Amino acid sequence: MKDRLAESLKQSRADYTEIRVERTWSSAVAFRGRRLETATVSEDQGGFVRVLNKGCGWGIASFTSLDELPGMVRRANELSRAVRLDEPIRLADVAAQTADAILDLDGDVRGIALSEKKQLLDRYNGAMLAVSDKIVDTQSSYRDEVSEVWYVNSEGASLYQLRPEVVLSGTAIGRRDGNIEKGLESIGLRKGWHSVQNYEDRFRVVAQRAVDLLDAPRVRGAAYPVILDNELAGVFIHEAFGHLSEADFVYENPQAREMMTLGRRFGKPVLNVGDNGAATGLRGTLPYDDEGTPTQDTPLITAGILVGRLHSRETAAKLGERPTGNARAISFRHPPIVRMTNTYIAPGQQGVGFNDLISDIKLGVYACGAFGGQTMLENFSFTAGWGHMIRDGKVAELVKDVVLAGNLFQTLDRIDHIAGDFTWNQMGGGCGKGGQFPLPVTEGAPHVRIEEALIGGDV
Amino acid sequence: MIDRLLDSARGRVDNADALWRREEQTAVAFESGRLKAAGISEEAGINLRVLANGRMGVAGTTAAKPDPKELVERARASAGLGEIVQLAFPGATAAPLPSIPTFFDHTANASLAELIRMGRLLVERLSRPGCQINVSVQREVADTAVGNTAGARGEYRATGIAVTADLTRIAGDDVLMVYDQYVGADMPTDTDLEALVRSVETRLAAALTVVTPPEGALPVVFTPAGLAAVILPLEQALSGKTVLQGSSPLAGKVGETLFDERLSIEDDPLTPGRPASRPVDDECVPSRCTALVERGKVGRFVYDLETAARAKTESTGNGRRGVFGKPHIGYTNIRFRMTDGGRDGGAQQAAPLPSHELGGGLIADIADGLIVDDLIGVGQGNVISGAFSHPVGLAYRVQRGEITGRVKDAAVAGNAYDVLKRIGGVGRDGRWLGARWSPSLLLEGVSVARR
Repeated sequence: MKDRLAESLKQSRADYTEIRVERTWSSAVAFRGRRLETATVSEDQGGFVRVLNKGCGWGIASFTSLDELPGMVRRANELSRAVRLDEPIRLADVAAQTADAILDLDGDVRGIALSEKKQLLDRYNGAMLAVSDKIVDTQSSYRDEVSEVWYVNSEGASLYQLRPEVVLSGTAIGRRDGNIEKGLESIGLRKGWHSVQNYEDRFRVVAQRAVDLLDAPRVRGAAYPVILDNELAGVFIHEAFGHLSEADFVYENPQAREMMTLGRRFGKPVLNVGDNGAATGLRGTLPYDDEGTPTQDTPLITAGILVGRLHSRETAAKLGERPTGNARAISFRHPPIVRMTNTYIAPGQQGVGFNDLISDIKLGVYACGAFGGQTMLENFSFTAGWGHMIRDGKVAELVKDVVLAGNLFQTLDRIDHIAGDFTWNQMGGGCGKGGQFPLPVTEGAPHVRIEEALIGGDV
Repeated sequence: MIDRLLDSARGRVDNADALWRREEQTAVAFESGRLKAAGISEEAGINLRVLANGRMGVAGTTAAKPDPKELVERARASAGLGEIVQLAFPGATAAPLPSIPTFFDHTANASLAELIRMGRLLVERLSRPGCQINVSVQREVADTAVGNTAGARGEYRATGIAVTADLTRIAGDDVLMVYDQYVGADMPTDTDLEALVRSVETRLAAALTVVTPPEGALPVVFTPAGLAAVILPLEQALSGKTVLQGSSPLAGKVGETLFDERLSIEDDPLTPGRPASRPVDDECVPSRCTALVERGKVGRFVYDLETAARAKTESTGNGRRGVFGKPHIGYTNIRFRMTDGGRDGGAQQAAPLPSHELGGGLIADIADGLIVDDLIGVGQGNVISGAFSHPVGLAYRVQRGEITGRVKDAAVAGNAYDVLKRIGGVGRDGRWLGARWSPSLLLEGVSVARR
């Protein structure tokens, strides 16, 4: 394959050409309630060409028929030449990489019978259904894939990457009359078959939570002191700050650049944030991004001060900074854009625990788990799976429909206490941006306290 | 391709159906007012479903020259683990499929230069100091063929075009994002593009002043865009799948009046000019319109072949499938039909307002409330329960019948089933937004929290 791609590169008349070809083997099993929805094996493959000429814009072609590759290189070049630019697009220098990067398959999923995968998921699904007769419905899914990715560019890069992934998820729906609640478990790993065993307890727990939430009141809408558990704190930093640190938001926008000036204070000295695409064994981990740049650990906030941002080669060149290996595409159907990988809030002082965060809160909310989050940059939402009221320094009654309304400048600055109990939370699903969803990412955080945050609800 | 595949399946399985689709897209993207990229995308794939020994299995591939035998074997292996389903594939019909124009020459033949011209026009009209304007134009031509071993066949070509304008204004630490789009099967006229410009301009102008949000149980006008959070629970609950699974709050309520009597909602795949329209669904079922809510009463649930078989009813022609995975239920075009319930009879007679008029003519009697145009995190909560709670993305305060400015750092919450019981007013600004047509609705007693 590498030779075939090298041949097509040679024939390109563009100043810069890159080609990515992917072949993905995947299998999927899904249950809905007691019924199997599907058990199937799929093969997806295709290519992506992107070219650049002096004084011109990007020309892009994506396609499923690999026989068309030479023609697609020609068409991408024509498209680039149709886009005239007065200010040229430049790409920051990256040493051309040549490597075969084979991630550990951890039990190659291609060698496991589909019937075994069905049995595994049947157990997890059954564990949820067995919790209570109030669990009226479940949605369980198992999906694995092994993706082969070839990447070459006209600067001499030539990469082959083998990327495994396995995702387990379970939603339990509890119902009593018109009252319907859900519990959600989601596990996403850049690993294989060995890593998805023995999760029965976690599936049981979420089903029990769906049942418990049937008796829980809705949280009252107000501003509260809030403690985020590790999972929600991870989603919080992804939405609250991660997207703002993606340089494609600022690189063409002088006002945004000013707002996000390096050296600006965004939080108290306890706050340290970064993005690490090179961390070992996480779902957002890749040796190289989709422009062939090696990934790295990029500090974003150090002691409350903005110190870095995430780059593609184009955004780095424009801002005179260095590429960080954050140009990612969800598949050959899309161009690489600036994305997060494994984003984290670094742990606070060792030994600082949950009790140190909660003890002086009279009335507050302990927001746990994550149904999701979304940002409009300054304002963002993050939706907890469930919550507890905090009363007189103690965890009190269960509450539901806990959705936090965040503001970049106010919420980050109100983080006043960070525990030492850091964990990576490897969830399934993923991040969505620019029509590309779901991108595998990981978030990591300890327990985090926000002095005051707005929670929606009846007032 | 379909015929060869179905021939290969005959004799090796009980029954089979298949979908083949080829899509070609051309897109141009303007970033911060500059044309930055032009791209094409070509994709073809085939999805096969089989019934073998009464069990269902599926297989799909994007391979350029798929081996029919291999695909049938893969689907049979999938069926080996599958459930028993009493699935009856529709047979060949004597009657022709409903006639619905899905293919527009203008759209299919529009040159790259023409797509660039439209984008440039929007950039020029919407550029202003201190604002960044991103515009994208995307045109699609798709060929679809569906068929089954019972002899049914369907084929059609469809075009679609989406033009989006996305304006970001950053002033100090204030970030404002205003967005609108044109989506259709046919090219936008100059009037359509003008409406898009006016819509973004109006939203921007009204948002320049930031005011303190109100607090309490208040009247809130949900614009067609803001309405998504309120409609999503209904869309989930009206799916035959959630009804079968016992998780729909509307199960067993067909014919009961649960909503304001002026509210009717239908799923209509036969709307001319819409990209989601089609003569036949992805399982060979001829398209037809389905009344989901009729004058406040729960109407019909939507089904695909499998859920219909399980519920012992007929498919409503809502089968949708991709290249991978099995067919599932999908809506086509969701249309609100607001019938005169008497309370706002006068408003219904009046001439429609242009869609860029914020509030749809519903704010005159609001002493203190909101217009909600965009909410953050829609779809991420416990949607099917009807509960919603979201920070506002773009919302305006209304005081004494006037828009006084944009509000930030506020959250709206309620329950879709409660707030739709009594609609305070129906806007005269009905419009398409993607695959949904609706006017603005004034809903009472929506909780607004602020910091």
